[in-house]
Amino acid sequence: MSESLDSLAPGSAPSASQVQSSFPSSTPISTPPRIHVFVTVGSTRFDALVHRVLDNDVRAALRARGYSTLVVQCGNSDFDARSFTQEGDIWRRTEDDMTIQVWRFKPSLQEEYERADLIISHAGSGTILDVLRLGKPLIVVPNETLLDNHQEELANALEGLGHLRASTISDLPQAIRTLESTKLMPFPPFNGSRFRELLDEEMGFTAGPGDRS
Amino acid sequence: MISAWLWSVALATGVLLIIRLWLILPRNSAATKRSARRHSDHCSLAVFLGSGGHTSEALLLLSGLDFSRYSPRTYIVSCGDNLSERKAIALESLKPVESPTQNPNYSVVTIPRARYVHQSLLTTPLTAAQSFLGAISLITFKSLFSASPGPEVLILNGPGTCFVLCAAVYLNRLLGLPSPQMIYVESFARVGSLSLSGRLLRPLVDRFVVQWPQLLEDGKRGECRGWLV
Repeated sequence: MSESLDSLAPGSAPSASQVQSSFPSSTPISTPPRIHVFVTVGSTRFDALVHRVLDNDVRAALRARGYSTLVVQCGNSDFDARSFTQEGDIWRRTEDDMTIQVWRFKPSLQEEYERADLIISHAGSGTILDVLRLGKPLIVVPNETLLDNHQEELANALEGLGHLRASTISDLPQAIRTLESTKLMPFPPFNGSRFRELLDEEMGFTAGPGDRS
Repeated sequence: MISAWLWSVALATGVLLIIRLWLILPRNSAATKRSARRHSDHCSLAVFLGSGGHTSEALLLLSGLDFSRYSPRTYIVSCGDNLSERKAIALESLKPVESPTQNPNYSVVTIPRARYVHQSLLTTPLTAAQSFLGAISLITFKSLFSASPGPEVLILNGPGTCFVLCAAVYLNRLLGLPSPQMIYVESFARVGSLSLSGRLLRPLVDRFVVQWPQLLEDGKRGECRGWLV
């Protein structure tokens, strides 16, 4: 019964259909062609991460792994835009073997996640869920300046289970160089039946199949 | 003489209130379990959408439910939180309804915020009081004056404003009015320590649910059924 009801349960986000269909149930995440990296800080401000991903060390690490395009969603963060050319809401820079784009916000990041071969992100739980449910390799960098830093707990717990790589600002180049995306554990798909069963039980709905009247 | 009399009346009222409050705490009240329902029965539901990650998780929880069973649905959003309202409407448009002629049976209502981000602690009691009045008009007045009964279950997952909703539910219980079952679901992001709303609501709600088992290692009340989002 729970199986059939599961199919009636789309997620709240527009990602729901992809969540259900694109996630391989038990196969490891396949090695991507390593082309495109997407960096996101969500709706927050995380100057240190944005600054770090644009610096020489991280760019060198990305190049060494074959990444050739870098897109940074910087939210409310400050960054040094002097070396960029601004076109509308987008800052661009082209180097020998890498093109870089920086912008602040888009209504949905789903498309960006789908296009990326690697995602580097703040450790917000929403971003983590969205990215892991797409089966994409993810490096998270908890924002250590947050007062109540439970982001770090989540990042470390999920790294302990093998679902992602947790890094710090200073270790980020090393994390990029040593990430083995094939060794990341697939993240389980959304299971709506758990809360449904809990609520049905609490509200007195018995699970018996014969009581439909 | 009169003042002594007034004092003893106040004291007696206070003691009675505390006893009443103690009696309606979930661990002391015997009849928290609802009676069995038939498969086809309806159950009205309300959920507080606390913006950002709270809203996303709450709506994900709801997305797994049978909407023809949990009907009507009330989405409670903080004043000015248009994004949560839009996300709720988006979920409603995604869910299939029982028959094609049936319209989704839901409403979105607003409540003043208990506390704004970075708000000074000095002015917080004022906004919290406004928020509490909003919660009372939603939970208490509705069960008193409205033709449609209030929600039978209220789903909470933080932040602050959900505490005033819980307080309004307790007002109903103090007065012996119908009140919803309260289910608190701690965020997936909370691995090793409960949120402030989690710690506040843990002894007060009817079901306290966490998503990481280590949060229950202190042996206090709560349950864990793995990741719910």
